[in-house]
Amino acid sequence: MIALLRMEVGKVARLASTRAALAVLAIFPLLWAYAPGVFDVYGLFLVSGFQVPALSLLSSMEFLMPLLIAIVAAELVGVEVRTGTLPTILLRPVTRSSWLLAKMMVLLVVPFLGMAWFLAASLLTGIPYGFEGFVGGTGLGAGGLAGAGLLTPSAALAEVVRAYLLAALALVPIAMLSVLATVVTMNAASGALATLSVLIVMNLLVIFPGLEPYLLTRHLSAYADPVAGVGWMVALLALYAALFATVAMVLFERKDF
Amino acid sequence: MDSALSSRALTKRYGRRTVVRDVTLQVHPGQVYALVGPNGAGKTTLIRLLSGLAFPSEGTVRLLGVDPQVHPEVRRSLGAVVEAPAAFYPWLTGRGNLRLHARLAGGVADGRIDALLAEMELTRDADRRVAVYSLGMRQRLGVAAALLARPRVLLLDEPASGMDPLSLHIVHRALQDAARSGAAVLLSTHHLDEVVRYGDAVGIMEEGALIDQVDLAVRRGRYRVVVDDVAGAMAALEAASWTTSLTQRGGAVLVQLRESGDAARIAPTLVEAGVAVQALSEDVFDLRGYYRDRLQAERDRRREVAQERVAARAAEAAPVGDDGAGEEAP
Repeated sequence: MIALLRMEVGKVARLASTRAALAVLAIFPLLWAYAPGVFDVYGLFLVSGFQVPALSLLSSMEFLMPLLIAIVAAELVGVEVRTGTLPTILLRPVTRSSWLLAKMMVLLVVPFLGMAWFLAASLLTGIPYGFEGFVGGTGLGAGGLAGAGLLTPSAALAEVVRAYLLAALALVPIAMLSVLATVVTMNAASGALATLSVLIVMNLLVIFPGLEPYLLTRHLSAYADPVAGVGWMVALLALYAALFATVAMVLFERKDF
Repeated sequence: MDSALSSRALTKRYGRRTVVRDVTLQVHPGQVYALVGPNGAGKTTLIRLLSGLAFPSEGTVRLLGVDPQVHPEVRRSLGAVVEAPAAFYPWLTGRGNLRLHARLAGGVADGRIDALLAEMELTRDADRRVAVYSLGMRQRLGVAAALLARPRVLLLDEPASGMDPLSLHIVHRALQDAARSGAAVLLSTHHLDEVVRYGDAVGIMEEGALIDQVDLAVRRGRYRVVVDDVAGAMAALEAASWTTSLTQRGGAVLVQLRESGDAARIAPTLVEAGVAVQALSEDVFDLRGYYRDRLQAERDRRREVAQERVAARAAEAAPVGDDGAGEEAP
């Protein structure tokens, strides 16, 4: 298992989609922090560097982050199909489940690392605005960007880190869904597209208000607008991730190569 | 002798299409078994079934006595190339890929990777990325990866496809060496001339079925001697303990030897008996001709069966007591 994990860590770092995602996440905060039309269009006026991460997150969790994570997860499985290495690896004394489990374990960490990178890029972009205490909000805590009075740097940082952690957590089931879709289609592009299709359909299910608290897509914005307590959210997301992972594992075990 | 690899009534269906049909075969330790057949005959699927990559619809596979699906650990003793060209991570070097395989195989002896790279004549390119390897180099690296953990069973799907003659020789030599050291080797190939030289058995596949199995070992060690006195030659060779059978064919005698090494004794024995030897050559089994004839016969048989079926259906469809009622009305 250690050998497999080492292999997968090396692989995810080399994927074209990982590199592209890291580049996008590094550039994205710049667009928001220095876009000339932000005030005209949204009425936003940044007063602190701590507000840049909020803008980055608010504008990316709807579509960009799920897309990037779905692509990376799909490619981590699909690259084996593309290079033809999957049968070769499975002919080693490696069980199918351990091979897929190694990929899933790496993908459990990827959203958190991606978010850490995104946060770092956002904070770096926010340097010109300064990181002192300010009157207002980070956009990720009480009162939104208007805030609820004076916010100390440590309180602001805590709000931002907490939001990024919750956002990363919401991306984990999407990574597992993408693994499942790629196991079914055995193609990275189809897997990523299928994942996005499922998320779009899930988004539309808000027309059934009773379902809304249980929808995975609803929790993509839970870092700023929680449906219920953090414990409940973590449990639901873990359930989604476990369900997708288990189905992927079962299907993979019975697949012909 | 127990077989190292065997299948019994192995069948694989995808929906209503049967791609492997009722295949029963055995490969013993030290034996080289070649699967031959036209493209699409089912060789690749059969190899995938034998390796445990695909699941049989019916029948069983035994790898060293156990089902590889139930006992995946038996794959420690399996070396395989199931992709043509052999698949590797393009961003790693040849050596890097072999190291990775060694780790997944649970480790190999020090120097094993270097020895295999040398055997496959890849030492000079070992530290280049596989992405820049030629087809032949990839194939040789594939065979090296398969041999890495000194497997007791080797399964190779067209390991020499698209290779230049030198690479071809290297790969076939490596497979021969593996068989000599006791490994059971099963490969699919279109290189009939190579296989006939060192293979022990050949299975001919057509439309998913194993239509014939040829024991090459018994067809090896046969020599053709053209002499001036056939009867004298027959008498002299019959008395020799190192011949197993003699066949007269025109002005020549076909001599089956117990061991190929005894070929050097044929001419002196005949000269001693007063028989002039005009020509002496190895009578190599014409596998290519045999394969062509066998395949044609099978296709003719299937055509006949199909025609009979059509005729039977037409007869069933015809009305009882048909007296021309089927003719068109004016």
